[in-house]
Order: sequence, then C-alpha cells, then structure tokens
Amino acid sequence: MKLQQVSKTYDMGEVKVEALKPSSLDIYAGEMLVILGPSGSGKSTLLNIMGGMDSPTSGQVIFGDQNITSGGEVALTRYRRNEVGFVFQFYNLIPDLTARENIELAAELVKNPLPIDDILEDVGLDERMDHFPSQMSGGEQQRISIARAVVKNPRLLLCDEPTGALDYETGKLILSLLKKINRGRDCTVVLITHNIAIGAMGDRVARMRSGEIVEIAENPTPVSPETIEW
Amino acid sequence: MGILNKKTWRYIVRNLGQFLAATSVVMGGIVVYIAMSSAYFALGESRDRFYEENNFADYYFQVVRAPENVVKQIEMIDGVGRVTSRIQRDVPILKDNEERATARIVSYNLPLGDVINRFTLQQGRTFEVNQASGPTEVVLDPKYFTANQLAWGDQISVIVDGKEARFTVVGEAISPEFIYAMKDSADILPDPLKFGIFMVEHSQVQQLLAMPGEINQVLIEFAPDADQSRVIDSIKDTLEPFGLLADYPRADQLSHAVLNTELAGLRSVTTVLPLIFLGIAAAIQFVILRRLIKAQRAQIGLMKGLGYHNYLIMLHYISYALAISLAGAVLGIILGVVLSGQMIELYAAYFNLPTGLQGFNQRAIINGLAMCLAIGFIAGLSASRRVVQINPAAAMRPEPPKIGGKSLLEHLPPLWKRLDAGWKMTLRNISRNRSRFVVTLLGVIFSVSLLLISLFTFDAVDYMMDEYFYEGQSYDIAIRFDSLLLERELLNISRLDGVQKVESFMEVPVRIHYGGHTEDEVLLAYGPDLTMKRLETDTGQPIQVPEAGIVLNDRTARKLGIVSGAEVEVETLLHTGPVHRDKVAIVGLTRQLVGAGSYVDLQQANRLLGERNLVSGALLRVESGKMDQVEGELNKMLGINSVLSSQKEIDNFNRNLESMNVSLGIMVLFAALLGFAIVYNSSVMNLAERQREIGSMRVIGYSVGEVSAMLFKENVVHAVMGVALGLPSGLYMAQAYVQSVSTDMYSLPVVIYPRTYVMAAIGTVLFIAAAHLFSVRGIKSMDLVSVLKSPD
Repeated sequence: MKLQQVSKTYDMGEVKVEALKPSSLDIYAGEMLVILGPSGSGKSTLLNIMGGMDSPTSGQVIFGDQNITSGGEVALTRYRRNEVGFVFQFYNLIPDLTARENIELAAELVKNPLPIDDILEDVGLDERMDHFPSQMSGGEQQRISIARAVVKNPRLLLCDEPTGALDYETGKLILSLLKKINRGRDCTVVLITHNIAIGAMGDRVARMRSGEIVEIAENPTPVSPETIEW
Repeated sequence: MGILNKKTWRYIVRNLGQFLAATSVVMGGIVVYIAMSSAYFALGESRDRFYEENNFADYYFQVVRAPENVVKQIEMIDGVGRVTSRIQRDVPILKDNEERATARIVSYNLPLGDVINRFTLQQGRTFEVNQASGPTEVVLDPKYFTANQLAWGDQISVIVDGKEARFTVVGEAISPEFIYAMKDSADILPDPLKFGIFMVEHSQVQQLLAMPGEINQVLIEFAPDADQSRVIDSIKDTLEPFGLLADYPRADQLSHAVLNTELAGLRSVTTVLPLIFLGIAAAIQFVILRRLIKAQRAQIGLMKGLGYHNYLIMLHYISYALAISLAGAVLGIILGVVLSGQMIELYAAYFNLPTGLQGFNQRAIINGLAMCLAIGFIAGLSASRRVVQINPAAAMRPEPPKIGGKSLLEHLPPLWKRLDAGWKMTLRNISRNRSRFVVTLLGVIFSVSLLLISLFTFDAVDYMMDEYFYEGQSYDIAIRFDSLLLERELLNISRLDGVQKVESFMEVPVRIHYGGHTEDEVLLAYGPDLTMKRLETDTGQPIQVPEAGIVLNDRTARKLGIVSGAEVEVETLLHTGPVHRDKVAIVGLTRQLVGAGSYVDLQQANRLLGERNLVSGALLRVESGKMDQVEGELNKMLGINSVLSSQKEIDNFNRNLESMNVSLGIMVLFAALLGFAIVYNSSVMNLAERQREIGSMRVIGYSVGEVSAMLFKENVVHAVMGVALGLPSGLYMAQAYVQSVSTDMYSLPVVIYPRTYVMAAIGTVLFIAAAHLFSVRGIKSMDLVSVLKSPD
C-alpha cells in the first residue's frame, strides 16, 4: 500500500484544522507497522484514511494496483468490506448482539469468511461465544473485536490504540494475539499507539508529531510482545 | 441479513415499552379503520343488495284514493319501468295494556310477484286469503314483533273508522322501505313499541279500509335513460284528479334518508380518524428512528467501517419502523375484525336489514396493511437518510456537544431570570428537540380533541333532550285524533280526572309553492295562548305564532330560496275534503332541533282549509301521579289515533342511547391510549438521551423523585399547551363532523358544556401523568457508575 502526499483538513466552520499534513508512507505486505505518536498527532486520521473510513483532502492511496481515493463511496465500501479489518480502542461491539453474532455481522459481508469457531478458538473465547458484550470484560470484548476484524480474512488489519483501554496484562495478551495473526495468517498489521514501548514489536516504526510523519525506522529485531514492559 | 434482523429484534425486546407505545398508535388507526369501514361496507353492501333484490322504488306518489286501473295509464307513460300500486294507511292499534300504537298497513297482492318494494319473509309464513270472516292475516316487521313480545297466532286489534278490526300474526318480514321503521320525520327515533309495519293482502286491505277497487299509493321504477322529471310530471298529471297528496323521490324516503345519514357519518369517521392516527404514528416512528440513529451513530460508523453499504444500513433502520407498522397492523386487524363484528351487530340490531349483514371488509384489511407499511417505510426512509451523511471515522469519535442554542424564552430576560434551574433545563431541552416536542404536542392535541369530540356527543344529545323534552315542551301527553274535530269536543278530555290543562293544535300536510319550486311541508298550527310548547325562531329566540302569515321552517325556506317577507302559495293536502290553495306571507323563520314543520296560527290554518274551529290533536298537562289513569282513559276513547307520553318518549330515547355509549366509550379509550402512548414514548426518549445528566444529578444528591419531577416539567408543558390548543381544535373538529353528517332531517347542535372541557382537560392530565410515571420507572434502577463512565 502506498500513501502519496496524503493530507486531511477538517473544516470546522470558521476555523480549518489541518489534522494531517501531506505525508507519504509505503506499507509492505505482511509487515507489522507500529505508528507512534502523542494524542492529536494525526495518527488516527492517517489510519482512517488507510482504512477507507475517511477520504484525504489531497493525495492518493494506492492499494495493490487500485487507487482507493478515486472510486467514491461505493468503491470505498467495497474496499473496507473485502480488504480491511478494524480494531478500535473502545471495541465498538454491537450491544444487542452476542459475541458470535458480532463476528457474524462481519462474516456475512464476504464470500469466503474464515470459520467462526476457528477464530473464536484463536482468540480463546470459544466458551463465551453466546455472551453479550455487557457480560464480558474489556479484554474479552477486544478479543471479540479482533475476531470480528479477522473473520473477513482481510489483507490489512488496522488497530487504533487496541490496548488503550486495557490493563497491562490484558494489553499484552492482545498484542500477542495481533502478532500471532500477523505472522500466522500473513496479514499486514498497522497498529497505532501512544505507548512507545510497543514500538519494539514492529517490523518498522513510524513516529508522528503535529500531523506529520517525522521518522520511519526499520526494526531488524522485533521482540515478542510478552517481553515488552511499560 | 439475518444478523441485522437479530439486532433489530433485540433492540425491540430491550425497548419493548417504546415499541408497544408506537405500535398501539398504529393499531388504534387500523382498528378504527377496519371496524368502521367494515361496518360501512357491510351496511352499504347489505343495503344495496337488499334494494336490488327487493326492487326498492325510485319514486313515490301518494293520493287520497284512485281506481286501481290508473296503473294501466301510468304504465303507458314513456320512461316508466315498473309500477306497483297499493294501499298504505296508518291506523291506531288497541293494545292489551290499552296503550296506543300505530299500525302502518301496507297492502300486497298475492301471489307476491317481482313487485316494487316487495318484502322478504324472515320467519313464519306469509299471509293467505281464505277467511270469509274472522281475523285477517298479517306479517309484521321484526322490531314490532320482538318489542311487543308477540308469538305466531297472536291477535292484534286495530281501529278503522271507529270500528275494531282484528289481525292474526303469521310472519315476520323486512322490506327495503322499512329498514329504519320510523313513523315520520317528526319522530326523533324509532319506537317499535308504538309503531309497526303491518303487511296485509291487498284485497283484504281494500275491504278493511272500505276502498274497493282502489289504491292510494303508486310506486315506480324509472326505465333506464328515462327523462325523470318529465315522467314525474306526466304521472302527477295523471294522478292529479285523484287528490295527489305527496310525491317524493327515493332520496326523501325516510328510512333511506336515515340510513344514508348513518353511512355518511361512518364514512367521514372512517376516512378522517385513521388518517390522523396514522399520521401521528408516522411522526412518532420518524422521531424514534431519528433518535435511534443518533444514539447508534458509533454502531453505524462501525457497520460502515466493516463494509456495509449505506442502503443496507438504511434498510436495517427502516426495518424497525416496518416492524412497528407490521405489529400495529396485525394487532389492529385482529382487534378491528373482532370489533367490526360487534359494530355490525350493533347496526343490525338498529336497522331491519337482512341477516346477511356480517363479515369484514377484505379490501380494508389489505388497504390497512398497505397504509401501515407505507407510513413505516416513508417514516423510516426519511429518518434514515441521515445514515448516508454519517462519516464512519467521525462516527467512531464521541459526538461533540451541540452548540447550545438559546431557547425562545431566553430572549425575554426578565421572565427567564425568574425560572429555576429545572425549568431552564426543560425549556432548553425542548428547544433542542423541537421536532420531537412538536410531534408529541400534536399527538396530545389530537387526543384532547378526540376526548372532547367523544364527550361532546353526550352534551349535544343531552342539550337536545333538554331543549326538546324539558325546555321546549311542558306537556305530559300529546294526543292526535283520527280526523279533524271541532275544538269544543276537547271538553270531554279536559273533564277527565287529573287533566289540568288542554291546548289544541292542528297538523296539516301542505305543499308550498314559490317561484316555480314546490316543497312538501307540515303546518303546525297552535292557538295564540299556547304555553305547553316553546316555539323558536331560526336564531333560537322564543316567538308567538302571529295571527296571520307563516313562520317557515328554515330548511324548507332554503330549499325554496325564500327570503323573509316573501309570499308563498300554500296548498292543503288533507286525505278528506277538497284541496285549498291560498297565498300566505312569510313572517319569520324557525328551526327545530328535531323534526320539521312551519308554524301558523290555529285560526289561520282553519281559514286555509275553509273551516272553523277544527283541531287535529291536543297537548295535555296532567296532575302528577295521575298519568297512568289519564292515559288509560284516553286509550279507551275512540277517535284518538295516538297517545304520546313525554316520559315514555324520553325512556325510548335513553334506550336508543345505550348503543351510542358503547361506541363513544371506545373512542374515549382510543383517545386516552393515543395520548398515553405518545407521551410515554417522548418521555422514554427524553430519559434515554439525558442519562448522563440524570446520572450527574443523582450523584450530586438529587432524589429519584426530584429528578422525575424535573423530567415531568416537559410533560407539564405538553399538557398545558396540548389542552390549550386541543380544546379549540376539538370544538372545530366537532363542528366539521356535525357539518359532514347533517341532513335535511336532523342536525346535531354543537354544544359543549364547560364541564366537558374540564373533564377533557383532567383526562389529559391523567394520561400524561400515567405515561410519565411509567416512563421514569427506570431512574430508580439506573446504574450510575456505568451511565457516567460510558464513552457515548
């Protein structure tokens, strides 16, 4: 995936807020890219643009050989549906659906979803699949949210502060899960966080500040999440 | 999309109260629609079929007496289809309890061919002619038969020309002209105890009434494409030598006219009421969905993020509105069908219609379902259009608080400053949710109006009773004679023990000619010293009958295009004696709540007839406690055609009102249900939206009661404005309703007592308070921590 001079300006009536200054970034198939930055640095905006959740004010996003910025709403929806999985800080599960049904919500959208039972087993929640989100802990909810993102078998998994709302132990569990998916399913993972320690598990680390990518560093020796401490 | 349907279903179950509230409004509309339109349909259908099968006449001619062979002449007239001639005359019945009643004898030829206005036997058998002497066989209308508890073979005595004649009851039959068996348009309601249709073989009627080879009524059916007015004129010319008393089209036939009024009333209720209900239902659905979409903004963002197309998400929300519509429609149809059975039974009991009067209107069910789904879809579509605008990335962030607009009152600082914090919050909340407030207010206004309209009918009837029975007339008994009598013969009556006062009157059927137009009318002639009956002008002012001239009924005046001061030609139409024509000046107009007629002085009426001191009836005031005795004496007297006691009329009236109570009770119920549902719904939404606010207040230390009171303030605004606007709108709707069902024969006065306004207002406050209490039950069990912690 290539982001070419992508920028985003929000029009807030009288003021214009430049959330993302023109930035370029290549993402390689199968890598784990960690984007670090304090809040307000534009990392969520960048992630949303990558995932087709938001359109850039200028610049282009090329995925494979298609330009996803030029296709309009229908093309964006198709892109999100077939290529992208999202994991959010606050899980965003539908409260009226059980764990399994939340996953089915995504599975229904694609022709060849992964078997739900396998996914639930992967995230270690096969026993809890008939529970509603309100009956689950944050970590459990986040695991369901990951399962929901993965079930579509996306080529790109985008994670927005996936451990932001979780305690230390659970956070590490989630990171391990993401690593497992990245390596085991050959799925490109982009993870944004303000937690610098997490950068150590990425193949590459991009740093953002004030709406700009200020540094992209290769990490030849990514560590296992279990060894990270913060 | 199985999962999304599951999501809808779970949401419904979790917010069942709100769902049921919205559903019940839809249901209300459909119940009314199905029940009323089924009744309308069944009644209309049954009437049309009955008319068709029994050849209901197109036109009627009444003569004093004419030879039977005049029919041959009429049949020759171009444009005449079928002709039937017969004898019809009212005679007094001598009942075992000595009460007077009237038999309308109608003659039929045997064998009963395919004649006009033929009857359909319901029970027993038809009459036969074989008895040389002994009682004549008679077939009665079912209402008289039932009301008088008769059995086959029972004997009934009538008085014909001062002599007693006897009938044997052999059967029970209905006819298209007696679906509503009322004696004449002066009666308010049918009284089957006092009036019955006697169907008798023709030659026997001729013998009985001493009219050998004669008839007094001609009924015709027009040929297709006939020039009707030319045909009528030709027949009138033919019948003129035989004393043409009256001629009228089907539209003026009494039973037909009453039935039509009833159908018109049903029709206007059938169209207007459900439309208002469904309109409000659509508005509620719209408001609920809009709130739902706002509350589930993040979920919508998520669905978009997962790759759901806009139309799928919109369909998901529309499906909620459709679920409300469908549930409301199904419940409404079931209840409507049940209720329509009851309604139809009520009508069947009211009218002499064939027993086939049943079933529900299939088309109404299909229409009802289609209407419900259409409003659900339209409301759903217009509310869920917002889904398209939601940007998935922005939707995942908590929504920024709305720019706090000032409410209307804030522009009036002196007033605003005086309000406490609770009122300020309430008013700001209203101004933030204007469309919801307006929808709820409209619902309250409509239910207040509906309450008022339902209650208004009681007032109008009560007022009518009061005006007619208590204010308008102070006599205890009204008697009518078989024929005109000299006034001095009333001495016999005034000498009866218990009779305190006697005032005579005369009723003369006439035809009024003016400017080339003609209308049939009844002259009501009273003496100058009349005290037992109040006469009023068209504006309700009491008047004395002037010595000369005529106080014309305003409906007749309108039909003839007469203005006060004009001169009309009056033609008398008595069954006996010559016809007189004379010019009389119009000296005023009168309007009666019940019945019709124009007033003249008794001597003036005599002058018109070329007679002196004749009367046709008398009003009696009777000493209290001697009513039965006087009635008994009167019933024994010959020459008296009818004895009407005021009290018995009132009783009959009240009996007829019982059926009205049922349908009005149902209306009141629906009005309250609607009000409850809409206020409940708005309160629940309010509660859901302000969870954090309420949570904060509870944490600060407000009690459940105080929070509930704060939320109630919004409903106080609903109640105050709803009552203030709903009462006048109810009055307006009552007027519109009365306008739509008014006929020549009667119109309901639009009278609403102050008490009724108060009752409607209290009713409104009650259902609003009930809805509020129901909706705030959740405050007590609210989990403060989670409410305050939740990100959205």
